[in-house]
Amino acid sequence: MASDVDCGDPAGVRQHVFLLPDYFKDASKKMKSGLMFVKLINPCSGEGALYLFNMCLQQLFEIKVFKEKHHSWFINQSVQSGGLLHFATPMDPLFLLLHYLIKADKQGKFQPLDQVVVDDIFPNCILLLKLPELEKSLHHVTEEKEIDKKKYYKYSEEKTLKWLEKKVHQTVAALKANNVIVGARVQSALFSGDQASNDKEEDYVRYAHGLISDYIPKELSDGLSKHLKLPEPSAPLPNPPSKMTTQRQKRGK
Amino acid sequence: MRLRDTARALQTTLPIRACAVAPASRHALRALPASFGFCLERRMMESSDETAVERQRVHLRPDSLRDAAPVTLHLLPCEVLASRPAPVEQFFTPAIRQGPDGEALAAAAPGSLRALTGLHVSFRGRSLRGEEVAVPPGLEGYVMVAEGEGDGPRRQDFSGGRKDGGAEELELLERDFDRFIGATGRFRRFTLWGLETAPGPDAKVHGALAWPRLAAAIHAQVPED
Repeated sequence: MASDVDCGDPAGVRQHVFLLPDYFKDASKKMKSGLMFVKLINPCSGEGALYLFNMCLQQLFEIKVFKEKHHSWFINQSVQSGGLLHFATPMDPLFLLLHYLIKADKQGKFQPLDQVVVDDIFPNCILLLKLPELEKSLHHVTEEKEIDKKKYYKYSEEKTLKWLEKKVHQTVAALKANNVIVGARVQSALFSGDQASNDKEEDYVRYAHGLISDYIPKELSDGLSKHLKLPEPSAPLPNPPSKMTTQRQKRGK
Repeated sequence: MRLRDTARALQTTLPIRACAVAPASRHALRALPASFGFCLERRMMESSDETAVERQRVHLRPDSLRDAAPVTLHLLPCEVLASRPAPVEQFFTPAIRQGPDGEALAAAAPGSLRALTGLHVSFRGRSLRGEEVAVPPGLEGYVMVAEGEGDGPRRQDFSGGRKDGGAEELELLERDFDRFIGATGRFRRFTLWGLETAPGPDAKVHGALAWPRLAAAIHAQVPED
């Protein structure tokens, strides 16, 4: 992170540039508090990551940062080094819960949720239990039992893979709708000016699998790849040829 | 991103592979690690009070989102190694010119979100070219500042005097080691600058701005069987 550069600057107040859902502003009329940044686990890497809870709307958001070398902001009459742009985008809390369910599954028994979501390093994980939608969606990834009106859950890999497959398909639809170029033939496709029709379905699925894999542990990602019957990726592409010549050819229609 | 405009596309110097949009999510765009730059948080970490740090919540003041005044943002293609007040309106803003190619582009793509292109300015003697970039629909831009930064000696207790009339909800959510952040400005667009050439549709920041639409699909609830 670029924060090392300017943190110690006595003259500087660190300014964070954020993009937030615009409905936060309206929802905020009703609340004095309830928007908070907390550290929770990154379910892919297992390290800490930053999330934003909207306790009023009972939603979880993931914070991602756009960071490119050699950028800075002018913000009104000030300069802010780093040029970071933060995004708060909705996060399906089930990805986080999955981390805890898989961990708890090592004990191999049905457990109540409040015994599953336990974390000494990221104690704020208990906030997940305050999300009402979460319990309703648990059946996608667990077997459940009800004893004396108390629910007990156990991770089910089979159900999880089916759930993830649906995630992949809805991501594929979004990739197509947003004209994201996913294929290995990006260059030749651009020559024809119609890359969408040249991208194969398999390329979309592989790409979506990659995006989803950022939210699940490696073993599950490998399992999902098999479940989707994705072949082993082919050899990586050689580097694209010299950019200016290619661009002239490509775009000088 | 689509190459809407041959003229502008020819100006770009970004590598071809940047055309594939969503790699932004894996390259330039990343999950924010826990070392998110709230400076004080890191200082506390260094002072070995790790338990407090891990439990810490940073509250965003909701009323500040409503009250934030419009702010003018420029994203520069260079690293200025300082964060401090700067006379932007005195030196930078008055030097911005709209170039002739900008007018041609605006005519070629009327009503485009990036209609205002072909901006020129110079910074430290280098020529910059810029374009207006709109915040994607459904989002709003904010500049946020953590409370207690830049206002003299840093206090250790950030809850003192901050509690809001004893609102019960607030008490439940706030704890002694919690911190606060507030929006100081809000924006719907910013000016993106490139060195010598306009950033163009292949600029990585455009790829990043497509991320919220993909994120919505990845994280939407799946249909039932």
